[in-house]
Amino acid sequence: MKKALAIVLALMLILSVSVAAFAEDLHFEIVSKGFQHQYWQAVLKGSEEKAAELGVTINFVGPANESAYDEQLSQLNSAIAAKPAAIGLAALSTETCLDAIATAQAAGIPIIGFDSGVPGAPEGAIWANAATNNYNAGALAAEKMYEALSARIAAAEGAVRIGVSAQDNVSDSVVSRGLGFIDKFAELCAADGFTVKLEGDAAYVNGANVTSDDNGKVIIETLVPAQVTSELSLIDCNTLMSKDDTIAIYGSNQHSAEAIISANENLQVLGTGENDILGAGFDSGAVIKAAVADGTLFGAITQAPVAMGAALVQLCYDAATGVEVSDVDTGCQWYTAENMDDPEIAQNLYD
Amino acid sequence: MQNMKLSGNSSRKFDLQRIVVLAVVVVLTAIFSIFSRDFRKFSTVVTLLDSFYYFCFIAIGVTFCLISGGNDLSVGTGMVCYALIGGYCITKLGVPTWAGMLVTIACGLVFGVLNGFLVSVMNLPAFIATLCTMLITRGLGSVVCGGAVNWPARSSPDGWFRNIFKLMVANSSGKKTPIPVGVIPILLAVIIMSIILNKTRVGRYIIAIGSNKEAARLSGVNVIKFQMSAYIISGFFAGVAGIAYVCATTSSITPGSGAGLELDAIGGAIIGGTSMTGGVGSVFGTLLGILILTLLKNGLPKIGLGQDWQNIITGLVLIFAIYIDVLKNRKKG
Repeated sequence: MKKALAIVLALMLILSVSVAAFAEDLHFEIVSKGFQHQYWQAVLKGSEEKAAELGVTINFVGPANESAYDEQLSQLNSAIAAKPAAIGLAALSTETCLDAIATAQAAGIPIIGFDSGVPGAPEGAIWANAATNNYNAGALAAEKMYEALSARIAAAEGAVRIGVSAQDNVSDSVVSRGLGFIDKFAELCAADGFTVKLEGDAAYVNGANVTSDDNGKVIIETLVPAQVTSELSLIDCNTLMSKDDTIAIYGSNQHSAEAIISANENLQVLGTGENDILGAGFDSGAVIKAAVADGTLFGAITQAPVAMGAALVQLCYDAATGVEVSDVDTGCQWYTAENMDDPEIAQNLYD
Repeated sequence: MQNMKLSGNSSRKFDLQRIVVLAVVVVLTAIFSIFSRDFRKFSTVVTLLDSFYYFCFIAIGVTFCLISGGNDLSVGTGMVCYALIGGYCITKLGVPTWAGMLVTIACGLVFGVLNGFLVSVMNLPAFIATLCTMLITRGLGSVVCGGAVNWPARSSPDGWFRNIFKLMVANSSGKKTPIPVGVIPILLAVIIMSIILNKTRVGRYIIAIGSNKEAARLSGVNVIKFQMSAYIISGFFAGVAGIAYVCATTSSITPGSGAGLELDAIGGAIIGGTSMTGGVGSVFGTLLGILILTLLKNGLPKIGLGQDWQNIITGLVLIFAIYIDVLKNRKKG
């Protein structure tokens, strides 16, 4: 009996040592969308913590900005050349990455998508995704906004305008959040008998699942800057918030939400009063958190970036060690001045 | 001597170009005001000025490089990099705001000296030298700061610096109105730099170097010293622009951004009459050129022209300005 126990213990020891040794050899390359926003620092933090816990190494990289498709492609090619056990990828443009993805597939390197993932990638190329369902996240913002605005829409004599400030019309995550918002807001309007007219950027007008009515009671206007710069988004927000019929504005990421807050400095129109423009943002960061806390913004959607980073590395680990993997929805929450200090939400709010 | 006559002759022709540019400013303002009621609002004017300040500062600096026959492609990413490092010193290292602002300007000066050294001492082509420092500044901010940096908010005690460009005055009901006091530092900079360019030895020698570098050298001008001074001026103004950027445009500075702003600044200077081949230009012309680009950026969305039209129209305006420059050079030749 003692001999058998000793053999079992010895085998367990050998197994644990070999697993540990194997795990130490595991290296993952993670190609993000860059470090422009604090959001990515939180994803990095979650990734590093999980990597330390699993005893693996990661190399977390990202391009200089979210328009640098070629730079990200070059980073993805370098990641493949490093022959990692798995690759994490948040593609800025799937089309740009297609050849590199095929190379990784041919080399047998598992690719795990995260953040917006790799939408439209060839079947089987992406093993699993650790991502926020951005469409649903946008829809959640629309639900909360509509709840607060429905009476105002009904009472308005003429048309009212809902502004959407979007950083671009290319990134899947940004576009999904915009379309999720537009579709849900239009759906809620239709349920109450209000017609909707879509205006602004063609990608959003044509991409939305909404029948636009030229005489719509609710106008949803989406503006996209010519370049992703703070001042151009600020100008867009000023344009939307200057209009007399605007009653609400939604910024679909940290960049756009901060532009709404900057525009309000000159306009002083945001708030939750009867004649104020209701503002909603996305993600956090010190500026947005302060605006939500003092009531400048009605609320914002937060993702779970730390959990996303951790889920990404766990999926990479599982894929590399032969465990079956499937998509993980890392979730989102609506936060306001009232609930932003709740521990469940506060853990996802970063500076 | 012949050079000085040449530039004087060109500057008379330039007056006509500046009048044309000024007329374009007036026409654009009129068009946008007629077609958009929102464009006439005071808040739009303040927002327009917010995006004008930093843009104008970097363009003033670049004007000196262009007049010297060079260029400075590092000003856009540099401005962001210097503001990142200055903000990092304030928010992470706890230095006073004024010291963070000095760090921002000092970073600009350091890169100005580096650019000047590469171009005037090492004789690297300005385009290549400043392209390299553009890449360096694009990455340096992220390396030093490790991510985005927030300068102190207006509401915090350290947020006083925002009043340099915009005062917020509360009325009896508590509603705040922005007063765009940033026009004062802009006008001061334009006046001072115009005097430096036209009335001091530094400015005249920079013009002379841009007109004919070899002739300037043979005339006894210390080409290395004065060519370098153009880049130091550009670096200084990129640092000042960094402060204007965080004061008026955004609190949150993200690493890696700013690429492309240098082309806008160079475009503004060229629209304002500064020659791409050097030797000719004016600070006031640059002010007007930047005003045209800022009017387009702010006005086109107001009349319902989206991002694609903004790019197309800005490109067409630049083609027109560069063509005028080419015509002038042909006549000069």
